[in-house]
Amino acid sequence: MTFSRRRATSPSGNAASGNGTGSYGSPVPFLIPAFLIVFAVLIFPIVFSFVVSLFDWPLSAGGGTRRFVGAGNYVELVRDKEFWNSLRLQLGFIFIAIPIEIALGLGAALLLNREFRGGRVVRALILLPVFFLPIVSGMTWRFMLQPRYGALNNFLLSLGAPEITWLGHPTYAYAAVIVQDVWRMWPFVFMLLYAGLVGIPADILEAAEIDGATSTKRLTKIILPLLYPTILTALLLRIIDALRIFSEVYVMTEGGPGMATTLFSLYTHRQAFGYMKVGMSSAMAIFLLVISILFAVTLVRKNMSLEKLEEQGENR
Amino acid sequence: MNLKKSVLLGALLAAAAFASAQQKVINVLLWDDPYPKALVAMLPEFEKATNIKVNIEMLQPPQVLTKTAVAVTATSTDYDVVGIDEGNVPVFASLLQPFAQWPAGKVYPKTDPKSVTPKMLSIGTWNSVQLGIPINGNLYVWMTRKDLIENPTYKTQFKAKYGYDLGIPKTFKELLEMGTFFHENGIAAGFGPFNGGPAGVLSEAVFMWESHGTKFIDYTGGTFKVVLDEAKAIEGMEFYKKLMAISPKGAETMAHVERQAAFAADPKGVFSMFIWPAQIAAYEDPNKSLVAGKIAYSAPPAGPRGQAAVTGAWAICIPKASKNQDAAAEFVYWWSSKAVADKLVQANTIPARTESLTNPAFVSSKPWLPALAASMNVAASRPRFKEIGQVQDVVKKYWIMGITGQMPTKDAVQAIVRETNDILKKAGY
Repeated sequence: MTFSRRRATSPSGNAASGNGTGSYGSPVPFLIPAFLIVFAVLIFPIVFSFVVSLFDWPLSAGGGTRRFVGAGNYVELVRDKEFWNSLRLQLGFIFIAIPIEIALGLGAALLLNREFRGGRVVRALILLPVFFLPIVSGMTWRFMLQPRYGALNNFLLSLGAPEITWLGHPTYAYAAVIVQDVWRMWPFVFMLLYAGLVGIPADILEAAEIDGATSTKRLTKIILPLLYPTILTALLLRIIDALRIFSEVYVMTEGGPGMATTLFSLYTHRQAFGYMKVGMSSAMAIFLLVISILFAVTLVRKNMSLEKLEEQGENR
Repeated sequence: MNLKKSVLLGALLAAAAFASAQQKVINVLLWDDPYPKALVAMLPEFEKATNIKVNIEMLQPPQVLTKTAVAVTATSTDYDVVGIDEGNVPVFASLLQPFAQWPAGKVYPKTDPKSVTPKMLSIGTWNSVQLGIPINGNLYVWMTRKDLIENPTYKTQFKAKYGYDLGIPKTFKELLEMGTFFHENGIAAGFGPFNGGPAGVLSEAVFMWESHGTKFIDYTGGTFKVVLDEAKAIEGMEFYKKLMAISPKGAETMAHVERQAAFAADPKGVFSMFIWPAQIAAYEDPNKSLVAGKIAYSAPPAGPRGQAAVTGAWAICIPKASKNQDAAAEFVYWWSSKAVADKLVQANTIPARTESLTNPAFVSSKPWLPALAASMNVAASRPRFKEIGQVQDVVKKYWIMGITGQMPTKDAVQAIVRETNDILKKAGY
């Protein structure tokens, strides 16, 4: 007995029509629960946020007074130099931290993509930082970087280096936030890229080796091109995650010193709970959503165009 | 027999259900420090006297603000009583029940506002309406390491160098010179700044500016205006910059935790700095502090134009939307009563009740109480209005840049004035 997903037989023996509206009736009632869930958890919050962003809605009014301002909040944001500062810090964070994570993850994946004694243990241990809660990671780094009692300064002092107030200097504090993220998230990239590497057929690499390709050539001409879709996926996941970074920075620096580490998400929080401006905060959230979508669309399209190229290659 | 037992059990269950139905429950949101913790230990007394069950939730001050903003609305509230930091009373004013409309207590008499320390009373008030009861007498009190200033060697060395006696610094000049002496000789850090968060930074800025003879923002002519005297403000910032040079490493971001660690847990310690009296209990706890019993308390040293002690008190308020206003009010009346205030003083905390703070029986064993009274005489408040959060961020940003040398102090002060004016203008003041 065979069963076709495209053409099933009804209990009465009649074939159900392919358009899904045969004797089983309309599929719409079956879709409603799924649609309701998607609407409740995805569409409604976004639409609600967007609607709120069109209002001057002070949180201190306790849900009472609100005034429709149209695009007013967006205009005010564009004029707010702290908004641009937070966006610059956020994008800087992404463009510095993520390439480092990709480089480290890729390097480690290439290095560990072979069998050796204790290899499984090493690969498992590398993943440990990923399991740290962001807030715990932030607190740990804050204590490690404490100038008098922190592990890092104690180590540097033992080497004769001067005492540095890591979180008290704007540049160092920003760098510390980036280093903390790299420490916690590069193993995640490693995990993805390692899985990608394992999936590359060994026979291709062996054939290249027999043909006399050097290890550099194999890396640049075979491994990296085949790993490219995985790298793009890692990039996409990391960028979306990095755009939402909040708790670790909040506990490490609270956005300081001054506003030196007030990333976009921290400034969004500040708008809502420091300045009590829910409308402005929602406008920032929508702005962040647009940025996320732009990144996602660009990377997904890039990935799709790669797949298309592969298909064309196969057809040739 | 079985029937009798069943009837008895049923009656007991019914009685318990009735009693529990009669018991009111109130939810209270407070800040987390030794003062509310001392209160929690006394709660059974209140619950027994009133049959009101009190659920207290304590959070760090920034989280109290966040949670209040979300949980208290015009029509509903998760809390029947909320503690509100003095700076935020204007922010939530429209959601709070005016004190005049609080119901009378059934067990405890309604709090007489005259029993509240006069300098603190205004913090529970906005637009001439009293909205809550100021509950703690929190304002700058100065701490100086007694063991350092009484050390004969240090006394001799200091007098030889500066020509006057080592002691509790009475002026900014003395503070700087004594602090420099201890710092340069590697004995202790000279000063412990407070740079932890926007509210903390604004406190220090107001402390410096008031001590140098200028206010920051004033309510004049029916509106808020920046009245900062640029020259005096720069002078104040420059002086703080000098204090930063004799402070422990990491001074740029020192919040309460780091200050306490530096002053009370570091063997080297800090010579002199301010403290919120609400935290004294932790500094005087021999299990937590290396300097318990070794601290001399005073009013803050005087700047070139006099003394100033910044207030940082909390008001206890009842949201308009609370369905349990009777029970909530009863709780606040009990908390602000003389009997409870006396017990809180004995627990090394500082209620905002004059007769307890000045009670001779306590003054002899609590050396910070006379200092607190002296500070009260020179109390100064931070500006209060709805947009204070934005102003705090501006001050924090440029104050830190000014005192750490990232920006000339003149530019920093001018930026503070310019951007604060922008905020006030945008807010319609």
